[in-house]
Amino acid sequence: MIGKNRRKLSVASAVIAAGSLLLTAMPAQAAEPGLTASSIKLGITIPMTGIASPGYNKIPGAMKAYFEYVNANGGVNGRKITLVVKDDQYIPTLAVAKANELILKDKVFALIGTLGTASNKAIARSAQLKTRGIPALFVNTGFSGFADKKAYPTSFSLLPSYQMEAKVIGKYLDENFAGKKVALLYQDDDFGVDALNGFKQAKIDFAIKIPYASGSQGVAGVAGTWITKLQAAAPDVVVLFGVSSATAAALGNAYAYKYAPKWILGSVGGDAVTLAANKVPPVFLAGAKGLSFAPSPADATDEYIKMFMDVNATYNKGVAFDNNIVAGMTSAFLAVQAIKSAGPNLTRKGLIAAIEKNGATFANPGLTPLGFSSTSHVGATGYWIGTYDTSGALKPDGGKYTVYTTDSGNGPVVLSTYKRPAMPAKGLPN
Amino acid sequence: MFQILNTFLIGITSGSIYALMAISMVLVWRSTRVVNFAQAGMALLSTYFGYEVVNRFDSYWLALPVAMISGAVVAAFIELVFMRVLLKHSNSGPIASIAPIIATLGLLGLIKAFIGFFWGNQDVNIESPLSTVGFSIGTQTLSLSPMKLLILIAVSMLLLVLTFVFQKTNIGLALRASAYAPEISRLAGIKVDLVRTFGWALAGAAGGAAGMLQTANGNGALSPDSLEFSLLLAFGFIAAVIGGLDSLLGAVFGALLLGLVLAFVLTYVGGSLVFITAFVLLLVVLIVRPAGLISQKAGRRA
Amino acid sequence: MHNLKASNISRFFGFILFGVILLIVGNSVDELRVYQGATVAMYVVAISSIILLTGYSGQVSLGHGALLAVGGYGAALLRNNFNAPVWLCFAGAVLLAALWGALLGATAARLSGPYLAGTTLALAVGLPSIANQFKFLGGEQGLIFDIGLPPASLGEMFSLYKWFFWIASLAALISMWWLQNLLRSRYGRVWRAIRTQSIAAELAGIHVARSKILAFTVSAGLAGLAGALLSMTISTVSPGAFPLTLSFALATGAVISGVTTLGGVIIGAVTLVAIPEIADSIAHRIGASENVTNNLPGLLVSGLLILTVLFVPNGPVEQMKHRKKVHI
Repeated sequence: MIGKNRRKLSVASAVIAAGSLLLTAMPAQAAEPGLTASSIKLGITIPMTGIASPGYNKIPGAMKAYFEYVNANGGVNGRKITLVVKDDQYIPTLAVAKANELILKDKVFALIGTLGTASNKAIARSAQLKTRGIPALFVNTGFSGFADKKAYPTSFSLLPSYQMEAKVIGKYLDENFAGKKVALLYQDDDFGVDALNGFKQAKIDFAIKIPYASGSQGVAGVAGTWITKLQAAAPDVVVLFGVSSATAAALGNAYAYKYAPKWILGSVGGDAVTLAANKVPPVFLAGAKGLSFAPSPADATDEYIKMFMDVNATYNKGVAFDNNIVAGMTSAFLAVQAIKSAGPNLTRKGLIAAIEKNGATFANPGLTPLGFSSTSHVGATGYWIGTYDTSGALKPDGGKYTVYTTDSGNGPVVLSTYKRPAMPAKGLPN
Repeated sequence: MFQILNTFLIGITSGSIYALMAISMVLVWRSTRVVNFAQAGMALLSTYFGYEVVNRFDSYWLALPVAMISGAVVAAFIELVFMRVLLKHSNSGPIASIAPIIATLGLLGLIKAFIGFFWGNQDVNIESPLSTVGFSIGTQTLSLSPMKLLILIAVSMLLLVLTFVFQKTNIGLALRASAYAPEISRLAGIKVDLVRTFGWALAGAAGGAAGMLQTANGNGALSPDSLEFSLLLAFGFIAAVIGGLDSLLGAVFGALLLGLVLAFVLTYVGGSLVFITAFVLLLVVLIVRPAGLISQKAGRRA
Repeated sequence: MHNLKASNISRFFGFILFGVILLIVGNSVDELRVYQGATVAMYVVAISSIILLTGYSGQVSLGHGALLAVGGYGAALLRNNFNAPVWLCFAGAVLLAALWGALLGATAARLSGPYLAGTTLALAVGLPSIANQFKFLGGEQGLIFDIGLPPASLGEMFSLYKWFFWIASLAALISMWWLQNLLRSRYGRVWRAIRTQSIAAELAGIHVARSKILAFTVSAGLAGLAGALLSMTISTVSPGAFPLTLSFALATGAVISGVTTLGGVIIGAVTLVAIPEIADSIAHRIGASENVTNNLPGLLVSGLLILTVLFVPNGPVEQMKHRKKVHI
């Protein structure tokens, strides 16, 4: 009965569909969406409100600021870049809805900077980025799964994977703390699983591993129990591989307990400004080890950081300058080069091809080689390890960035000989 | 051994923060029979007022009473202009069981949006007024700092004062009477509406204190989407339900139990289990005692 | 009696007609609206599940998001591990969630209002975090739920979102039709009796606890279906898709629809989907600051919710009925 009805209905709908097709399909597909001779529209969906938003909600503002700077200096190939920002509250359902609005209503040319593993995965599949050929530039996740080019042929990531980071930390531990007791605090999800895989490859045996549920770091007393556990196990070195709030909670409580092992902070939770804002006294942080692929945001002698600071002051109302601002501007900076490199006859396909072809040579603040190629869509491929000074800033050891590079697979961790290309004049690659 | 002591201390301090939240939920429940989900929002708003004071006058000790007073004023205002109308409009039919709860959810959203309009969605910070470094015994450090001691003292004092007000004063008697039997109380000459507003104001003040203390004890960061506050809401309510919504003592007892169980599970079982533990604890308690640990006799329930 | 039968038949044709209208509408609007239509259909099922529970059996749930999660994960697991056909995935989602609902309902039947609210709230907070405990649930990044491409017979131009829309609408229509019939049956009358006069119903020989458990079971089954539909529209299932805010949003949708009648369910569903977009366009038009833009959706939803509770507590549909005649 229902089947018969449905068949009838589908015949009817086919007729209607054909009719409406004739009406709508007449004006031929002229240009790519989001593109005119003088403008290009990009879209970002990111948590602007909700529990995951603090910190990350500074990224779109930083991107906009850099794009405005480029626009004020002529745009890219004569086109001015606009950025449409949507708030997804870190909920995958909303992220898909917002991505659809960006793609179908705002008709953006490409997505940029989507944040969160689950959201990225949902958008890529449901919004059919693959079949529609919509580029997703510099997604904000270090989950190694996005390196799978077959599954995500239009997505590019900038951050090195969590697995790479764990391998680099593993190498450091092996060289400096062989035979010592090591402890690990990690988030009990894909972020942590990626890390555990990396540490396994580096053959690190932890004396104690403390998992925490994402979000539980806000529960009163939770971080205190981490420290009591660590004190009981008495390791020499503690690796904190969590988000900012968890890292800050761990360090804050360690301070309260006068507990001071050798700390190693993962890059995700190691932003000094965020930590300082969360009441971790900089002095307490002094001597801890940290990782980053970009120069320290406190390093005003770095030409990129200096330029980003100026842009932030002029175009971003001087919002407090930190890793989030650097991350946002770096993505924008790379996007500008990608668009430039795709030439005046810009297409979505052309943009993806341009990054695959020239991406590895794009100028950017990052101190590690970019891995973009026709076989890889992973950007930064390593880290430098440094020490936090008494002001809480992460500084390279001996004043020189020692950069390690590796992959998300079984490859070795090696010292990088990469020399960062000089910054284009005035920070304008357009 | 020392680990057990510290785990115990962690449980007691986090429990006392839930207790402040649970107490304010119980106060509202007892005075108006409403489960107030906006409580965390009200606490957040008064903490923002406190933040403004800290910002301008650089004094936490001034900010704390200001937060409590503004909490009381906001709560009284909400009860006066909003809850009163609401309860009159939807006091019968199936909506009566859900309308107040849902309305307070709406309030929570309004308050958050309001805060977002004025202060933005990014973190602001409140410095802790006392040291957060624990006291030492020999080489060991206790999970007890001057700040945590302040919290414990503040909660105990608040509880003592509230118990006194409730049990020994006329207004306390009026509060209890208006909740159980509003009609009879009215006939007995009690200004039921006024008494209810007073109950809300008390709750608002307790919430303001909870917000200020929790923020100073936690990482000091404050935002409309603060994780701490959404968890304070959930865990405070769970604690109140565990204790039995009708009893102030139950709220404190439930909160301390929740704090202790969570601390021991976290230390000795596993860090990933915190959320599900709260659910299981609640379920176990309610299966044994469907109206919470310290429940009134069924006949007395309104 | 024959009167009842006649109205049954006319109702059935009403649903068919509504389905045909949906089909035509689905074919004449753009891709974004089709996608939003699928989301609306999902919300219709989820909200009707709450209305059944609250409006008809007088129980409160603030944790329906957790039951949606059970359905979503059930469907995805069936699809991924046993390559089950799509309809079976949805049926499995309904059964699995109903089973959970029965267990939860057995506990819930003993609890009064706020205690039940607390339990369901704790469930919504606790359940999604389980996904990180067990590897087969895929952790934070979740599982893929791929129902496959629309059948080739529908033509090449038939988009994936239109396929979602068809499936979600069909699921919503079938469940609404079935629910209407259920509520007019003996069970529906029993539930209404319990809701209005619990003690009298017990004296009249109605097994109150059992009826409440049954209501919880049916409601959970519908929630499971909604969860599977939600997972279909985002092609994945992950803990982040079922936050506490989802549970609150569903309760909000139910109140805006009016909890006493299923008739208004579409109002709440459309509202939940439309508000963020309306807020966006208002903010855009008045050139609002970032603070306002970010918080306007929350303000509108909350404001609407409060206005509903204050002025049309029983929902807009019931209000209009009341104006026509005093009694239902």
